[in-house]
Amino acid sequence: MNNKIPNFVKTNQFGLLILVIVFICIFSFSTDGFTSRFNIYALSRVVALDIMIGLAMMVVILTGGLNLSLGALGVSAAMFGGWCMESMGIPISITIILVLAFGSFLGWINGFVTVRTGVHSFIVTLATMSIYFGFMTLLTEAEAFRKLPEAFTDFGSLKLFNKYISPLLIISVLTCFVLYYIFKYTDIGRKLIAAGANPDAAELSGISVDRMFIYCHMLSGFLAALAGIMLTARIGAAIPSMAGHLGFDWLLPAFLAPVLGGTLLSGGKVTVFGTMLGAILVTLINNGLYLIDVGEFWVRFFLGIILLGAVLLDRAREYFTVKNSIVS
Amino acid sequence: MSALLKKDWFGLGLVLIFGSILISLFKPAFISPFNLYVLMLSVSLMLVVAMSQMIIIAIGQMNLSVGAIGGLVAISFTGLMEVYSMSILPAVLIGLLIGLVCGFINGYITVKTGISAFIITLATLYIFKGMNLGITEAQPFYEIPEAVKFFGNAKIFGPIPYLVIIPIIITVLMWILMNRTSLGRYMLAYGNNVQSSELIGISSTKIVIYAHVISGLLAAIGGMLVVCRLQLGTPNIGDSWLLPSFAAPVIGGAILAGGKVDVIATAFGVILVSIISQALVIFKIDPFFVQIFLGFMILLAVFINRYREYREERRTKVFSDE
Repeated sequence: MNNKIPNFVKTNQFGLLILVIVFICIFSFSTDGFTSRFNIYALSRVVALDIMIGLAMMVVILTGGLNLSLGALGVSAAMFGGWCMESMGIPISITIILVLAFGSFLGWINGFVTVRTGVHSFIVTLATMSIYFGFMTLLTEAEAFRKLPEAFTDFGSLKLFNKYISPLLIISVLTCFVLYYIFKYTDIGRKLIAAGANPDAAELSGISVDRMFIYCHMLSGFLAALAGIMLTARIGAAIPSMAGHLGFDWLLPAFLAPVLGGTLLSGGKVTVFGTMLGAILVTLINNGLYLIDVGEFWVRFFLGIILLGAVLLDRAREYFTVKNSIVS
Repeated sequence: MSALLKKDWFGLGLVLIFGSILISLFKPAFISPFNLYVLMLSVSLMLVVAMSQMIIIAIGQMNLSVGAIGGLVAISFTGLMEVYSMSILPAVLIGLLIGLVCGFINGYITVKTGISAFIITLATLYIFKGMNLGITEAQPFYEIPEAVKFFGNAKIFGPIPYLVIIPIIITVLMWILMNRTSLGRYMLAYGNNVQSSELIGISSTKIVIYAHVISGLLAAIGGMLVVCRLQLGTPNIGDSWLLPSFAAPVIGGAILAGGKVDVIATAFGVILVSIISQALVIFKIDPFFVQIFLGFMILLAVFINRYREYREERRTKVFSDE
């Protein structure tokens, strides 16, 4: 009997999709300007970044770990990029490659220390968060890089598709597809998932779990650096405080998107498009709350409630699917 | 003597003594009464915060909302006194009650849903902080009764501030709880191995909720002590607690997986962090270095713990071979 319902309906991506549509309906009827060209463009710029941050966290959650240093790492990489372009006069394309390499390197440090000490990545990245952010502030003397090449900042304010969509969103969506392909169809992607799902079994079947975990952290650093560049292009300057103190402003969206998307915190499961939908939902709600005028100080409160509600719902869904499968 | 050497706090104690002697040889200003006073103030505030995190580490979880609870209590405490002109004692009691309720919410949801405490407290962090900002609209409360101001400023004698009294009592109580009561031992047993602690009849619901309630109460006390110290209630109290709250227990040898914490070593961890921050200021080193240093200290402590575990494992292996 259960076979009549397609599998997709049972996943929480489907639930998320419904929620996204419901919220879009609510906000477009209850507020003015939600569907305006300006608002949709602004949304696309924000959502692009949230997706990227969510993906950066997702690939570390895959290992059963966390990356608290995400924001600090992203901002450090972005500041490095600002320095390359403004002070060193390095061309944009080379700068971007350097920044991504730098981000991967910082991610490698996280991964290497985590694997070698066997300590939970929470404590390692708590320490590196403070170290990266501290060094970045010291080296830049908390000064921003504001004289970036015009070609770079213009890209951040470019408007595509009848001026509705920012090119940043296209980068994020493309990244989603690439990651989906890697995790679904490539050898290395399957190995990463296997290492996260059951490290002992993976080790026994000849996968170097340590190396896979380091790769995950490097990938996280890479994506965080990419998010850093995108934020720099969006603002038009590289500012040390653009992700808040110690990069904390990135932390909530970073966890919200993958957790809403159904990524298991214990590791071994990734949902690339779930993370994307999760990021879209968070951005929608955030934007809608401002438009409804709940007051900017309460937005945080509601985001916390939503995160709590989402994990509770997910738990309930799991409970019922398990019960159903036992019955059938 | 060899028993002493095995204690977590022993090595830390030596580092503290030699470190302080070394610093004061280079900079005699380090042991000036004023500096000692400042040092004791920072130690006493962080002590309460570290204990609040330590008890959650003991059961193998983490509490990201410690700072948010502290901040919410701090502004409620000052708000009640300023806006509703409440007297100090009921304001303190309500502050404690808020801490208790916040802790209960964390513990109850965590244990009933089985979702990781990390996610639950991340959510409540935003909820509590959002309530704080929603209530205050990011404006501080300035009108604090004289008695509270006095308590935050006055000295008992010499450089010793009144403010150290409560943290010292808390530390002693925490030591008794973790080492001399069945509740404390049960918490450690639960942190060490959830399944086997349940099998011997320990109620996990009770243990987790108790731990989170105590954590909430301590965070509340921490928030109110900061109000006494700052002489005002600002909404950003507690924002910077996260890193030090983990640093001190970890430096004190606590294992994040749970089941092992040491109250005295945690206290020494707090003192070590404060002395180093202070020394960096005295040597006129950029304040941002303090942050980098704290990060490296955590990593170093983790390495040392790992090394000791490794040596212990080797030793037990040798014995089992015999």
